[in-house]
Amino acid sequence: MNRKSFAPIFFVGPHFILFIIFICLPTIYGIYASFTKWNLINDPVWVGLDNYRTILSDTSSTFYTQFFNGLKNTLIFVGLSVPILIALPLMIAVALEHKQVKLKGFIQAVLYIPGLISISAAALIWLLIFNKQLGITGNVFGSETVWAANQPYAWIIIIVITVWGGVGGNMIIYRASISGVSKELYESAEMDGAGPIRRFTSITLPSIRFPLIYTFVMTTAGAFNVFGQPLMMTDGGPRQSTTVLMMYIRQLAFGHGESIAGMASAMAVLLGLVILVISALQYYVMNRNAS
Amino acid sequence: MSNQVLNNTGAEVQIKSPVQQPLQGKRFPISQYIAYLFLTVLCVIWIIPVIFGITTSFRSQAEVVSTGFRLLPVNWILDNYVTILNNTSTAPILRWLVNSIFIATTHTALVIVIISITGYGYARMNFKGRDTLFFTLLGISFFPGVVNLIPSYKIIDAFGWVNTAWAMIIPGLAGMGNIFLVRQFMKGIPKDLDESAKVDGAGDFRIYFSVILPLIKPVLIVCGLFSFTGSWNDFLWPVIVYTDVDKMPVTAGLLLLQDIYGNYRLIGQLMGSAILAIIPTLLLFLFAQKYFVQSINLNAGIKG
Repeated sequence: MNRKSFAPIFFVGPHFILFIIFICLPTIYGIYASFTKWNLINDPVWVGLDNYRTILSDTSSTFYTQFFNGLKNTLIFVGLSVPILIALPLMIAVALEHKQVKLKGFIQAVLYIPGLISISAAALIWLLIFNKQLGITGNVFGSETVWAANQPYAWIIIIVITVWGGVGGNMIIYRASISGVSKELYESAEMDGAGPIRRFTSITLPSIRFPLIYTFVMTTAGAFNVFGQPLMMTDGGPRQSTTVLMMYIRQLAFGHGESIAGMASAMAVLLGLVILVISALQYYVMNRNAS
Repeated sequence: MSNQVLNNTGAEVQIKSPVQQPLQGKRFPISQYIAYLFLTVLCVIWIIPVIFGITTSFRSQAEVVSTGFRLLPVNWILDNYVTILNNTSTAPILRWLVNSIFIATTHTALVIVIISITGYGYARMNFKGRDTLFFTLLGISFFPGVVNLIPSYKIIDAFGWVNTAWAMIIPGLAGMGNIFLVRQFMKGIPKDLDESAKVDGAGDFRIYFSVILPLIKPVLIVCGLFSFTGSWNDFLWPVIVYTDVDKMPVTAGLLLLQDIYGNYRLIGQLMGSAILAIIPTLLLFLFAQKYFVQSINLNAGIKG
């Protein structure tokens, strides 16, 4: 009897301790730190809502400018990347469903592999492709522009590398879901004279509604955390027009000079709230429309 | 051929096939060609950067500059690789690769241990408040990770783990996602198995090790693969935690390369380094492709 009551501690305990130390504690501390002035070295000094007031309403402060510029750029990234990261994998999955398409495994592998390449390695290669003198844009398409240093090209190269690395995951989810849809549904729709588009909108889409909601919410939340792509591709330029919120947060907390971790924590909490609200909203709206 | 099918499978097919035949003749080709064209164009766009990166790593700087964009080198040379492998001071790429392999392997091994024992606890054991505890932790883990980034650094620092492999090996073990998957998977295993083992006098450790562990191999392999590639490709965290060039993993190292071989003055070296960093995960994919691709079948909730 005694042995029985202690055994769960051995199984669940180690992870519980890790969870407390590496998720619970830092989350609580992160919220606490957002109400303090903190340089990561000394103890944080409580300042109440000062950080939030500065970030949200002190128009003369650089933190205000940074936060809203970072948020704007993050939103641009989300707005540009998420629709493509949903639509393109869906189109690929549908195209791969064609009975006569050969080499399905190969095509799938080619589209999936970039997702396994780290952003820093991928960026080195893609920057060469977008290089004015040496790359494809300059040599093959005759572009005279330095893409990373001019808009809208800076956003284009960030989105290109994101889409290149990002379609594989969702593609596999959609393929698995579509292959689970009953073939008889398609066949009877075909007999009723429904064309491919009609079959897609009235059979495929409703049948894969849960994976669609799931990928939409997850892809969006992921996109809000964007960091590597703009850092590697444009370093936030030109004129901070691609500097996303995560880059400011990292810069304030871990950049050169004294750390401004309290302010950075407040920005992190605000970004976290935006992610939470948007995820909840997406889930709510899509679930309601679907049923 | 089609007659045979008709005869063998009976009436149902016989009714359908006269309708399907003309449809296939009319409709399939067009949409099929569109599908083919679409997929081919995508595959070409997707594969060109990788090939371009590989072939450029075998070209000399002079050749790259003088001939501009070419998919294949005029002269294949190994000099770039010799140079980058010999650089052990400013950009010790071999060192970085060894660091990454150590980090990703150790992390993956520990993930497998942790998620299997924790999953067993939450799925197969009975204790007070089990499900409440599980769903509380799961709920907390949904809170956006960006909030705990800065304090996580402080905690790692307190442990003395800044610039050590532990900074990347340990914190990720606290995640709930894989445990959720393992728990779901374990719930699908009939309870009778445990019961009969218990009747034979086996304790929980025994049941976990000899009954459950062999049965959950598929889900452990998938979680292991994603833990490995996730750890290998992690970028934000290593960029924050490592300042010591000798201790960092390859993803963080490549960020430095942009400055060291900067502005594409040494293109072949840059490409060679990027390719070396890609190879391990690529090999993993080639050997374990079916697990990557079928991974989603494990997650019934997503598949819908």
